[in-house]
This record gives sequence, C-alpha cells and structure tokens, in this order.
Amino acid sequence: MSSFVWMKVLESTPERYDRGIAMLSGGRIAQVYGRIAAIAAAPGRRVLDIGCGTGAVSFACAERGALVTGIDINAEMLEVARAKPVPEGGTIAFLQLAAAEIEDRFEKTSLDAVVSCLAFSEMSEEEQDYALEIARRRLVPGGVIVIADEAAPATPLGRLLHRLRRLPVVLATYLLTQTSTRPVTGLAGRMRAAGFVDVSQERMLSDAFVIVRGTRP
Amino acid sequence: MKLSDLPGYLRDTAFRLLPHRARTGLFPIGDPGPDAPVLVTGNFTLTVRRLREALAGQAAWVLVVNSKGYNVWCAAGGGHLTHHDVISAMRVTHLADKVRRREVILPQLAATGVERRAISAATGFATRWGPARLEDLPAFLGRGSRVFNAERFMRFPAWERQEMAAIWYVPALIVLAPAIWLMLGPAAALAAAFALVSMVAALFAMLPRFNPVGPRRLPILLGFGLAGALAGWGLLAAMGDAMPWTLVVVGATNLIGTGLLFMDLAGTTPWYPSVINTGANPATITLDEARCDGSGDCVMVCPRQVLKMNGSRRKVEIRDPGQCIQCGACIVQCPRDALLFHYADGSTVEAPTIRNTRLNMLGKRREVRR
Repeated sequence: MSSFVWMKVLESTPERYDRGIAMLSGGRIAQVYGRIAAIAAAPGRRVLDIGCGTGAVSFACAERGALVTGIDINAEMLEVARAKPVPEGGTIAFLQLAAAEIEDRFEKTSLDAVVSCLAFSEMSEEEQDYALEIARRRLVPGGVIVIADEAAPATPLGRLLHRLRRLPVVLATYLLTQTSTRPVTGLAGRMRAAGFVDVSQERMLSDAFVIVRGTRP
Repeated sequence: MKLSDLPGYLRDTAFRLLPHRARTGLFPIGDPGPDAPVLVTGNFTLTVRRLREALAGQAAWVLVVNSKGYNVWCAAGGGHLTHHDVISAMRVTHLADKVRRREVILPQLAATGVERRAISAATGFATRWGPARLEDLPAFLGRGSRVFNAERFMRFPAWERQEMAAIWYVPALIVLAPAIWLMLGPAAALAAAFALVSMVAALFAMLPRFNPVGPRRLPILLGFGLAGALAGWGLLAAMGDAMPWTLVVVGATNLIGTGLLFMDLAGTTPWYPSVINTGANPATITLDEARCDGSGDCVMVCPRQVLKMNGSRRKVEIRDPGQCIQCGACIVQCPRDALLFHYADGSTVEAPTIRNTRLNMLGKRREVRR
C-alpha cells in the first residue's frame, strides 16, 4: 500500500495482450476460440462472453450468427474490441462490467449461452463461484456454459514439470508483452456445485488448455 | 511483526515486482459487530499482513478485494483494482447481509482506479476515503473515520526507502552474483554484491537530498555508482583478491546498476513521477476553473499536496504543480472533469481517457471516444 512501484510493468496494452496470449499458446489459441464458439454459438442464440478482453471469443461466436454481449472491466481492451468489424449475421455489443455485475444488466433466463476464456483464472475462487451461480440464473433451461482456461496437470510432480517446461516461454512473453496467465483448477467441480448438469471437460493444445462445459437443468 | 511472518515479509519486499496473492474475502479484526467499520484493501500479501498488524486491538471488518496480488497503489494505477473489483468483492462476500453500517472505507491510494459513485450506484453503500498510509488507520478510526489533512500525503521514511532499494538490488544480484561466482569465485561475487548494495542503499538513504528526475540525474547516479564501486574494491583488497578482472567486474556491476536505476529510479518512489511514462514529454496538471464546482473530491485524494481548496471562492487551486507525480487520482475523482494533463508537446489528456487507461501505458496513452 505504500509504493508506486513499476506501474509500467503492470500496464499491458491490448495489442501486447493479444500478442502475449498468442505466444503463450504457441499461436494455436484460435483453435480454442473456435471450439468454444462451436459448442456455444448458433444463429440467433444470445451469448454472453465474460471477460471478453479484445473480443476474440465474442467474434468467433458472432461469426456463427450469435447475438453476443462481451463484458470486461478493462476499458482499453473493449476499445480495441469495438474497433473490429462485426461479422455478418451476428451482432456484438461490448459493456464495461465485472462478472459480479451481470445481474445489473441481464434479466433472469435472458441468455442461451455463457462463454468465458482466460478470465476465470483471474478471479478468486469466491468470485468464480459467484459468477457461475449468477450465470446459471441468467441462462434459460437447457442453456450452456463453456469456460476455457489454462490447465495445470493433476499431480504435484506433473505441475512442477509443466512449470519448468513453460518457464522460458512465460519469461519471454512477460518481458515482451507483460502478459501472463495462471492455470485454473477444480472448475468442473465448481460448475456442478453451482447447479449445472452434464458437466464435462476436454483438453486442448497438448493438455495446456481445458474447456469445461455444463448445462442449466 | 511475528517471527513466522519473516519469510513472507522478506519474499514480498525483495520480489515486490511480482504479484503475491493473499486470500480475498471479508475478514473480522477483533470482534466486530454489524456496526463496525468496513475497510477495503487489495490482496497483496504484504499489504494484508501490515493491515492486520496496524489494526491490532481494533474492531473492524476488512474486505480484501482481488487486486491480482498487487499493492493498492500499483494495482489502481495499472487498472487491476477498480470499482468493478470492489463491487464484485462486496457482492461475492454478501457484505450487505453481514453488516448494518452502509458505508465502506476505501484506501486513498486506490483513487486512480476506484470511482466512488459507481460503488454507491451498484451497491447502495456510501464510500469514504481512508488515510493514505495504513499506520494512520487506528487514529483515523479513533476519531470516527475522519482523515486529518496531513494523513493524505505520502511520507517515505528511511526504512521504507531501504525496502524499495531492495527491489532493485535483489533481482539484479540473483542474475549477476551466480555468474560472477562461476567466473571469478566467491570473493568477487561478494565484493560485487557489496558494491551494488552500498550504492543503491546509499542512494535511497539520501533520496530527500536530490532530485532523481532532474537533468542532473545521470551524473548523480554515476557518482553513487562510483562510490559503491570503491566500497567493493576496498572489500576486494581487504580479502586479498584485487586482481584486474575482479576489479573490472565489480566496477561493471555498478555500471549495470547505474543503468538500471537511470531507467526509472523515480518510479519506485512515492515522491516523483515515473520517467518511463513521461519521458521527454512531461505532463503538467491543470485546472479548467470554469468547470470546477468546489466539491473538493480532488483535494481529498492528492497524495502530494498539489491541490488546495479556496474556501471563500469555492474553487480548487493548484498550489504546487511541481509536486505532482501524475498518478491521475484527482482527474479520475473530479465529478465535473475539471482537471486535465497538459503535455509539453501541446497535447492534453482529459478525464475520460485517464479513467480508461489509468496510468500512461509506457507513454502510449490513447485518446478515447467520449
């Protein structure tokens, strides 16, 4: 609370963020965006993208004809997202909101799908639970939730090896783009606890990413 | 400080450049009833530990907000601690169900990122700024949550300056010392470490005596670098290891140290604006007096005594623009958008831009559509 340390290190521009995520995923992150959209988006479906950043997942969903709202608390990221052309068939609106503020803007059962990529790992566990709970209430029965995030191996030894293997990429990415990500754990269990059913998960990008999906009963 | 806190304290102090996340949530201090004050803070481990220590013997609630493991000031400046995060924490912890008092006390240094009115609109809670420094909290609470003027300004006492010095030399030595040890042995590594630590520690000790953002900062830094190198060379001689290569390496270590500090010594102090952010295009805080309605919201958050209220005219005045560290807190908080930055190149940056970009993005703060 008493220092003004190196704020510039903490400031990441949206362009650097996009580049950083691309580096961390070895350029394959678009596959994850496409997979999320394939599960959640279809013509006319109302999709909410939590922590949309510069809008990559929102645009992937809109390309499939979905009516997308992207929310993020970072105004600069949203500014970049808004400048991108909207794909034909879909619509996109961007709002500056945190996940816990969804209830202020969305009625109950007003969404067909909730998606989120690389945002839940930035939340505390309590925030994750709260976001899942209010997302469930905003979904229609049968609506889906799809959350993608960096994954860590299940065993402590596996996690250590994973970290060591990733260390050079993480360091280089941080130095060049001031971007980093953290793995998320226990998401499937949280989803079930929040009242979702048919919860399943799949791994992508050589196990580095996990996509967890569930359905509102 | 308890002995068991020492490892955490050393880690957080030496590696302050990296985030260290504490648990978020609502925590009781002492035995707070539903009417006890609610103090908001960020989830940097060092902050939370110090807050608990400062509040020993008090009865209060502490709401630890997810500031991504950064300290309040940096997180607010970097866009990692905003009103969205505070609102989120209030809802996630069901604060409204747990306390009767409909007010939260915000850390003053969060003012660059946290907009008070947004919190009240979303939660119905009133907000109030606490003091800039947490050691003033007991006195603040003792007088019914009222801040004295002097508690708004950033002090930077000798011990804290040494804590900041450590964030420079510890990471540098982690890289340099093992390499020197491998090349020239332990005595050279020890002497190089001694040279660098003496230089940085002396620099921070004497910080109140010179201006690290002025045009003479390079010769000043070189002077400290040379003095530190002399100390290192002296140690080498005392250990009987003063060979040409060891002397060169000790000197080179301090030259590297001088270069690092030249990049942005000022940005690691609460007294000066970061030179990386402003560079050759410094900004000056200015007031559009016609817009000012005398609310004084800006005066309440300035950590540098730049602004003052002219009570008889009901207008704010810029008392000492030279003291401004360009944190932008006053601009963010002004309800009438009356404050702005004027840059040396003639451009201006107004409140909507600061509210979106917070600090200056390595000098690349962009205009936003209004």
